[in-house]
Amino acid sequence: MSPERDAGFRRLAWATGGLVAALVPHLLRLEPWVCAVVLAASAWRLLAERRGWRLPPPLVRGMIAGAVTAGVYLSYSTITGLDGGTALLALMSAVKLLETRNARDQTVLIFIGWFLCLASFLYAQDVRTAAWVLPTVWLLAAALLVVARRGEDGTPLRPFRTTGAMLLKGAPIAVILFAFFPRLAGSFWGLPSGERALTGLTEEMSPGDISDLTLNDVVAFRVRFDGPLPPPRERYWRGLVFSEFDGKTWSRESVRSFPWKKPTHSAAAVGYTVTLEPTGQRMLFALDLVDHWTPGVAVQSWDYSLRTPRPVNSVLRYDATSYPRYNAGEQLAPDLRDLNLELPFGRNPRTAALAKGLRASSASDADYIRAVLRLFREQEFYYTLSPPGLERDSVDDFLFNTRRGFCGHFASAFTALMRAAGIPARIVAGYQGGDWNSVGGYLIVRQSHAHAWSEVWLPGRGWWRVDPTAAVAPERIERGIAASAAGSELAEGGLLRDSEFFWQARMLWDNLNAEWNDWVVRFDRANQEELLAHLGFHNPGWAAFATVLVVGLGLAGVVLLLWLALEYRPRRPDAVTAAYRKFTGRLARRGIEPAVGEAPRAFAKRVRYLRPDLGVASLSITEAYLRLRYGPAPAATDLDFLRREVARFRP
Amino acid sequence: MTLQRGRIYILPTGLGLAFGVMLFAMLLGSLNYGNNLGLALTFLLGALGVVAMHACHRNLESLVARASDADPPFAGQDALFRIAVANPGRVPRCDLEAAANGAPEATASVAAGGESAFTLRVPTRRRGSIVLERVEIATRFPYGLFRAWAVLHPATHCLVYPQPARDAPPPPLAPGAAGGGAVRSGEDDFAGLKDYHPGDQPRHIAWKAYARADELLVKEFSGEAEAMPVFDLDDAPGSDLETRLSVLARWVVDAHARGLTFGLRLPGEDIAPEPGDAQRRRCLAALARFEAPAPDVA
Repeated sequence: MSPERDAGFRRLAWATGGLVAALVPHLLRLEPWVCAVVLAASAWRLLAERRGWRLPPPLVRGMIAGAVTAGVYLSYSTITGLDGGTALLALMSAVKLLETRNARDQTVLIFIGWFLCLASFLYAQDVRTAAWVLPTVWLLAAALLVVARRGEDGTPLRPFRTTGAMLLKGAPIAVILFAFFPRLAGSFWGLPSGERALTGLTEEMSPGDISDLTLNDVVAFRVRFDGPLPPPRERYWRGLVFSEFDGKTWSRESVRSFPWKKPTHSAAAVGYTVTLEPTGQRMLFALDLVDHWTPGVAVQSWDYSLRTPRPVNSVLRYDATSYPRYNAGEQLAPDLRDLNLELPFGRNPRTAALAKGLRASSASDADYIRAVLRLFREQEFYYTLSPPGLERDSVDDFLFNTRRGFCGHFASAFTALMRAAGIPARIVAGYQGGDWNSVGGYLIVRQSHAHAWSEVWLPGRGWWRVDPTAAVAPERIERGIAASAAGSELAEGGLLRDSEFFWQARMLWDNLNAEWNDWVVRFDRANQEELLAHLGFHNPGWAAFATVLVVGLGLAGVVLLLWLALEYRPRRPDAVTAAYRKFTGRLARRGIEPAVGEAPRAFAKRVRYLRPDLGVASLSITEAYLRLRYGPAPAATDLDFLRREVARFRP
Repeated sequence: MTLQRGRIYILPTGLGLAFGVMLFAMLLGSLNYGNNLGLALTFLLGALGVVAMHACHRNLESLVARASDADPPFAGQDALFRIAVANPGRVPRCDLEAAANGAPEATASVAAGGESAFTLRVPTRRRGSIVLERVEIATRFPYGLFRAWAVLHPATHCLVYPQPARDAPPPPLAPGAAGGGAVRSGEDDFAGLKDYHPGDQPRHIAWKAYARADELLVKEFSGEAEAMPVFDLDDAPGSDLETRLSVLARWVVDAHARGLTFGLRLPGEDIAPEPGDAQRRRCLAALARFEAPAPDVA
């Protein structure tokens, strides 16, 4: 292959490599066919360059472009939005690859690569994504350096090194901009309002749903407590309240609204800060029962759950204060009472019969509750991660047939039994427990801590939490899922607790993620104002931001200029060259300069021709210089001689 | 001359402007979505652009450029001006471009502490003299986002010889036995050694002397005594002055190639017959510079 073709292939390979690296974070999110098309186009294009194949003509490329656009529309039912837009961007880069001929086309690929990097941040801002994207940005910049080279002669470049040095020089500027560039309070145009499919609790629940989550070790949120850590039996994180029941699935009452009754509190308050990972949903999680929270983040609905105005699509941090002992909703409005007594007509008949019988033999509602819990505890009910599927009348099937269930099954059956006996009851879904991270001093609540329990309403007492799972598997509540009977099943799911060392390592990694969330992802106007307050600006306005930005950028600019000045400072010539330069400099003042490409000896001869009086001195200086420069073993006296001769040389 | 800071100009290229537009779009998107990592990415690339601008400027700064006179070409050939660029610094300077007088761009890179030369091929059309008035040394390194340039005014000259006529009649004063015989007789009598100059015929190089003295010398021969033509403008056929000068140029070139001793007579200039390269240069230069003194010549 000719050197030009080789160079062309190298440029194309750099640009394509950068593009594929930028696509990697999207590979799992995109439809498989999109990934296949892009990877196939990249491979084909590189092969075509190697083999010298012809690129497809414009008509074929146009047809491919039309086909992939239609494909995106069919797969995503839109060509805008984050998902559709990213897919389209990735596919257009593939189409662009098919017509990539020159440096300009390759530059377009690199720019698309940078946009794909931005898109991957719109999906996730965690440490892992950043750790992949930063080198990718670097690789793309290095590719631009390779693509933008004019001549292939010259000094061979180390694109990665050169670009890395430039990024490092620019880092202070970037840091100052990041720290002090004012953040928007709102947004220019509408944020995507669609709820995204993220792992976590959803707006409705069938009994088996939560056991799927239990196998998921992903962090749901992290909590820093102002005071001591509350005991495990108080770590109930309320997320959603399900009042509607269709016989199998529980869901939120989202149509009707009821008056909110202020709860009364006793005992001490617990203050804490939650850093919530994106849920794509509008729920927030707080310890039962939350009293106040960062204003504006959410409103408390009549069922005491917190609702945000928009789906939480990025990391959200909020402060909250809760009271573990409370009385809520002591007066129950008739319509709310009806809602929490509703059972679908004609469903689960055996459950209804069991409830009637048990209630008749119990002295009071409280007695009845105890009787039902005793039933769960003493009869053959099993707490298991892999419960069998349930029939249409799910509660009947569970209570009288399978008897194996997870928290959702027990909560569902318990609530149905309560309602059948005329006790208002509902299901609360959220998280229970959490892992204490001793490294960072905070509680990690994972998806595997997802839990469902019941709330019953008792006259004079209001809503009262009853966790039927605690009756079957009390260790689940006290010591977490791994300690429970279902814990052994976790081993099969690959979630067995590791050795002490790995546990520590995992905690360190989680701590890094938490710090990352605090200092990078959630760095906002409030943090900026805090920073500015350290610099002496209180209640900073635009003027303060402008001042700090200008001064900071000025300082970063000075650092950059000093760095460059140091790097580009002239090299000090060695003694031999310096002496010879003095000689040519003196001649230059008399109008005699070496021509371009003229060797020293030829120059000396020309000097002799132009100025015979200088001939001998010029030749002896030149010979001494050549001896010192190229001679096999120049003597030390030669340098003295050269210097003396040059010093005496006065044209 | 040294390329000094104040004399170097810089502007973004089309690519640089596109890069700016891309950064602006990324900034808007990141701000809108409140995406801190997107902002960080935008700022990092923005900072890279700033560094690239300074690096581009620095890529030219303190280079030492030197232009030398070009060897005279014949009209229609390119005049090859050589511009040497020395890099006194510690960082290699990559992808320098030089352009002048409609010469196609020449590229070069200079290693740290090294020197490279551009060869500017300035096309010529007619005889006379051309001056390299304005040379632009530019660079887009790195990334091609910016273009920095500096303008040199080297004022180096180059004489352009008239183009030797393609089908010229033989000179009237040439001996009847022209052609191969004359060449052979021209090599008969060894007249001495002289310094080698580009353009001397390689078969005349005295290789034995080179082996002894490490100096390229050329053997000179004296031609036949009778073959000492003096070419006169009045003898050259042709409808206009330029054609006749072309014919004279052909005669001079041929006579030199055959090792003859020849002279040139122009109105107002008389060059006595002599052999050798210096004579060829002298005669062709006289032809290049010649200006018609009186209307009756034209």
